This record gives sequence, C-alpha cells and structure tokens, in this order.
Amino acid sequence: MNFGFNEEQKSLGETVAALLADFPALTGPDPAEARDPAVWQALADLGLFALLVPEAHGGVGLTLVDVALAIEALGAGLAPPIAASTLIATDIIVRAGTAAQQASLLPRIATGELRIALAMLENGQGYDPDAVQTVMGGNGVTGSKILVPDADVADLLLVLARIDGRIGLLLVARDARGVSIRRHADIDPSSGLCEVTLDGAALMDGALVGHAGSGDVVPRLMDAAAIVYAGMAMGMAARMLDASVDYAKTRVQFGQPIGAFQSIKHRCADMAVAVEAGRSAAYYAFWTAAENDPDRSRAASMAKAYCGEVARDVCNETVQIHGGMGFTWELGLHRFLRRAKVLEHGFGNHVWHYERIMVETLAAQAVGDKAQAA
Amino acid sequence: MDFSYSPQEERFRADLRAWLADALPPGWGETVFEPEDEDERAMFRLAWERKLHSGGWSGINWPVEYGGRGATLVERAIFAEEMARVGAPEGLNIIGHNLAGSTILRHGTEAQKKYFLPRILSSEDVWCQGFSEPNAGSDLASVRTRAERRGDKFIVNGQKIWTSFAQYSQWCFALVRTDPDAPKHKGLSFLLIDMKSPGISIRPLRQISGECEFNETFFDDVEVPVDNIVGDINDGWRIAMTTLAYERGPEDALGRQIRFSQELEKLVGTVAATPRGGAKLIDDPIVRQKLARSITEVEIMRLNAVRTFSKYLNGDDRGPDASIIKLYWSHAAQNMYEAAMDILGPTAPIAAPDPLSAGGGRFQLSYLQSKAFTIYSGSSEIQRNIIGERMLGLPR
Repeated sequence: MNFGFNEEQKSLGETVAALLADFPALTGPDPAEARDPAVWQALADLGLFALLVPEAHGGVGLTLVDVALAIEALGAGLAPPIAASTLIATDIIVRAGTAAQQASLLPRIATGELRIALAMLENGQGYDPDAVQTVMGGNGVTGSKILVPDADVADLLLVLARIDGRIGLLLVARDARGVSIRRHADIDPSSGLCEVTLDGAALMDGALVGHAGSGDVVPRLMDAAAIVYAGMAMGMAARMLDASVDYAKTRVQFGQPIGAFQSIKHRCADMAVAVEAGRSAAYYAFWTAAENDPDRSRAASMAKAYCGEVARDVCNETVQIHGGMGFTWELGLHRFLRRAKVLEHGFGNHVWHYERIMVETLAAQAVGDKAQAA
Repeated sequence: MDFSYSPQEERFRADLRAWLADALPPGWGETVFEPEDEDERAMFRLAWERKLHSGGWSGINWPVEYGGRGATLVERAIFAEEMARVGAPEGLNIIGHNLAGSTILRHGTEAQKKYFLPRILSSEDVWCQGFSEPNAGSDLASVRTRAERRGDKFIVNGQKIWTSFAQYSQWCFALVRTDPDAPKHKGLSFLLIDMKSPGISIRPLRQISGECEFNETFFDDVEVPVDNIVGDINDGWRIAMTTLAYERGPEDALGRQIRFSQELEKLVGTVAATPRGGAKLIDDPIVRQKLARSITEVEIMRLNAVRTFSKYLNGDDRGPDASIIKLYWSHAAQNMYEAAMDILGPTAPIAAPDPLSAGGGRFQLSYLQSKAFTIYSGSSEIQRNIIGERMLGLPR
C-alpha cells in the first residue's frame, strides 16, 4: 500500500508541464491562436504517445498511473484535446484490440503518427453509451456524432456504434469515404469540438475494436476517459488555485495585499482543500484503471463527478478573486473557464456519474444482503 | 502507487477479522445496538475498548515497549477498514489514544512514557483535554488558567470548557499559563493532571443535541507534581501543536470515517426501504444525487487519510495537511447529515424515540451533533487561516 507517486512519475509530469509552457499561446487569451500543430509534434518527440504502448510494439509499456501526473499537466497547460483522446484510445487498443490492430496501430501511435479522436455522443441521446443510434451496416457506418474533440485534426476516429445489435467501437479513417466534419460553434473553440456525419462511412480493415473479446470494451473506454478527464480537470484546478494565490499576494487594495483579508484567504483555503480532495479521488481512480480493479467504474464515476465540480468551482472562484481583471479577455482566465466546462460535460457530467454511483452502490448492497441471507 | 497489500498485511487483516467475529456481541448491528442511555453507552464503549486491548488490538502502530503492537501505518489503516466493515462501536478513550498518547510518545520523558502509555492502551486511564476556555477557544494561546510553581508542585487555578468525557476521565492534559508576563504563546506549559486531585470540579454542559458529552472543568488550587509537565516550562505551545496535529490528522479522520460510512450505509438502507407516495424514496432522482454526492465525499475522506499516511511513509513531515484533512471531513460530514434531513422530507423533524422516526432517529441526533464538527479541534476559520498562511503563503 502506497498512495503516492514515484520520482519517475513526478518527473514525467514536470517534463510535460515544462514542454507545454514553451507554447504560451496554449494558455493565452485568444483561443483561435491556441491550436498550434507544433504542440502535437513536441509531445510526440517527447515520447508521450509511446508511454502506454507495450514494448513489443515499440513503446514503453507504462500504465495509466504512470502517466497520471502527465495527464494533469495536459489539463493545466490546456493541451490540444487530441493528446488526451489518443492516450485514451491507446489504452483501449492495448487492452481490447486484436493482435492485427495492435501490430498495425500501436507502433504508429507510439511515434505520434496517428492522432485518434473519440466520437461518442449523439444529438438528443444524453451521455448513455447504450442509447447510441449510429449503426454499422453492410456498406459502412451511418450516424451522426456531436462534440467530438479535435475530429478535424485527427487521423482516425474511434466511433461508438451499434454492431449486430450490440454496442461497440469502430475505427474509421478521418478521410474515409462518407465522413464529413463540421466545426461546432462552442464555448471553447480551442477544444476543436466537431460534428461528425457518417454516411455509410467506409470502415478500416479490421475496424471492430474488442468485438470478439470481453464485453468490457465500452465500459472500459467510458471509465478510462472519465478518469483522464478528471485528471485534466485537477490539473486545471491546481493551476487556477496557484493563479488565485499569486494574485492575492500581490494585488493591493485598501492598503494591503488582498490575500490578507479573510474573505479572500478563506476562499483560497477552501479551494486548496477541494483540489487535494479531488486529487485523492482522481489518483485512486487512475490506480483502479491501471490494475483493472473491480472498483474501477465506481472510482471513475466518483472522480469524474467530483473533480468536474471542483474544477468548475475553482475556475469560478478564480475569476471572482481576480475581480474586474478576471472578467477581461486579456488576462485569459476565460480560457480555463471554457475548457473546464468542456471537460465537465465530456464523458458524463456529475449528474450522470452520481447516478451511476447510486446504481453501483445499490447493486453492491443487494449482493451484500444476499450473502448475509445465505 | 499500489493499493494492494503485502502477505503480512493480509495476515494482519485475516487475524483481525477472525478475532472480531468472536468479539462482537451476537446480533451486533442487526438486533443489538449500543445502549441509548448516555452513561450506559459510555460504559459500553469503554468495555469494548478494553476488550480490544485484551485481544491485542490496541495501539496498532505504537512501539511494543509501551504496550503497542508495533505495526505500520498501513496496518493501522487496515484496522480502521475492518472496524468499519463490522460496524464496531467507537471507543470512549479516543482522546487518550489519539491525543494524550501521541503527544506523550513524541515529547514525554521516559518515565512518563513507561507509566502512562500502557495505561492509555488498556483504557485503565481515560483522558480528557483541557485546552479550551470560555475566552480562549479559537484564540487558544490566550488561555488564562494559571499554574504557579511552588517547590516540586504546580498550583493550578482556572476554568476549562468543552472538556469532552471529563466525567469519565482519570487524567486531563491541560494547557496552562506559567508566565503571565511573557508574550502569550511563550508563557504556556503542558501539564498532565490527575482528575482525582482535590480542587477539581466538573459541571456537565448540555449541548445542541441534548447530550452532555462536554463539560466545564474548574481547577481550584489543584496540586500537580512538577514531574507531570511535558516538555519544558513555558514550552507548552509547541507541545500543544503536536496534540493538535494529531487531533486534526489522518489517524483521527480515518477513525471518524468509519462512523460516517456506517451512518451513510444506514441512510441508504433506510431510504431504500422507505415508501414515498406510492413509489420508493430511493427512486427519486434528486435523492439519488444527494446520496451519491455524500457517498463520494465520505469515500474521499478515506482516500485523503490514506494518501496523507503515504506521504508520511514516504518521508514527508506532518504539516498543514492536518488542517486540510480536518476542514474537509468536518464539512463533508455536515453536508451528509444535511442531505439526510433533506432526503427524509416531511418526516425529517420526527426524532427518537417516536416510533415514526426514520432509522430510529439517528439521523436527527447526528445532524444536531454534526454542528460541533466545524467548531471543535480548531474552527473552520482557524483551519482556513492555517492553510492560507502556512500552506499557501498568504500574508497574515
């Protein structure tokens, strides 16, 4: 039992943070300038996308726990969402991909050659994967996906679809026949949220991910994505806490730094507590995913629900503590507020995940009651 | 990061489980509960604590030479988990185990350790805490209870308040003023006071909940041998800070988390069995949201504590993280009882012993009790100052 990170894991987080800091436009005020393709290449050169790939396929063979702090840094640095999407897709291909898929995709993922976007949600369907209407038919996959981050810069789309009456995942090349992509007008233009229309879209060879394997592939994707998003949310929250504290130490009003006022100091303290609590939830969830622990889904939902709320609250407080400056375009805090909203609603918001926690809790209690009766 | 347990830790868990299976009264938690009468309940808790000791389950991570088990912090966490699993009663001598013991272990003389520590573990001596005074609560350094040195004795005069379990205690550790002329933090000493000493009187303090767990304690020319000082004269503030770090820290939080998770489980069970307007209360989506949020917050209490244990194990010192832990659990627990009252809806005001009270009226009592959480062990405002100034470096 050791609920802490080792030196390599910490150092990896610091390295990713330092790399992203070399691209100030990422967190600058203008979201239109935040989509620099060089960021992807720099992360790839660093080897980020090789980390989760097994050594047999040219990677490093690490687990989600090993990259947890790196993912926090991706959140804190407002990295392009395709980086997180590709890491999530890598986890799925490593765990559930066929031998052929692994042999063909993983080496290219490791080098940064393949960017993978996650096409899950549909208009009018909420967050439930089971409600998906997109369907694989004789001549390809047909349906419409919304809120796909960075679909327009991806090489591959991992598409949630109905396959022979079951819910599964399909790989579609972004430039395949029948794929059309439209950028949404949305609250965070730097997230690159897109509508993806699949009109009998051509599937890749061996497109089905995990179809022949266990039924865990879609739940695993939802959990891994929820955990990665929770981790990024905590990176953002921690960075906003730092920004608030720095500002409160230097901004003078009524002849004192505002951080000397308890009304400000106490809000900063509450934020610090929320950040630590959120990290406890997120880090534990990373571990359950790395170990595929039986507690994985519950932990993922707790992390996603709680960390989403923390990041939202901390971003709101940070704007408030910065006063009029916080509300300006120029200072750029709005970039974090916007991205936090995208993360909060990606892969299930807190309402959806709290409901999932209730279902899990009641199911566990029913099992307990049955065991006691027997 | 590793949440799995070593074979030795698994063995510890199995041994404890086996022992607990025989130690709890038959029907415990199903048909048999703690006595409702306050004094009977206190004696029941004391008996349970002594039983734990006789089974070798007291002082899990204290050194063997002082009567402990010499186990690791991880085993201490396993102990808390297993106590939670069986819904074990709380002990009575929590202040002795968590505060007096930890402080004496850290700062006491060898003679003090040898004498007091085994008696704490066996709960032969129950302890109370003489810190707060009517005018020195959150501003603890302004305590006015005086101790004058005369020969080989201190003569103590003054009043303490919120002295939990003083009526059951054999010993009290008190923060007293030994130099009235020094700046307020510098003139304090930390004394161990025998509650049988002539001149001590106790007056119960009736609380919001109607209970009298707390007391006012008066000292009138009470003689305390000089050997009963912990640390040096006028060095009491530093010693008291150790006590407070333990009072607010992960060991304390983990013990409480047991209680809260048990109460939450009872709440979920109660709500699942409660009809509401031809349907079930548990099917109300708003009820489910509130319950799930509390389930999450109570689970995070545990994770926070275990994460802080790991920091200590990995070589970090104890610091303002104790305030983080305390501020978090006290509000999360209050939120949970507030949620319980919200969820019960129209029947929320019906308390024990009314036959219509939900869950035997425990949620109403706990709701009232929970109001103390954000006040004692340093109010939330004090914790926020500590976090703001010592952890975040904000100006005073």
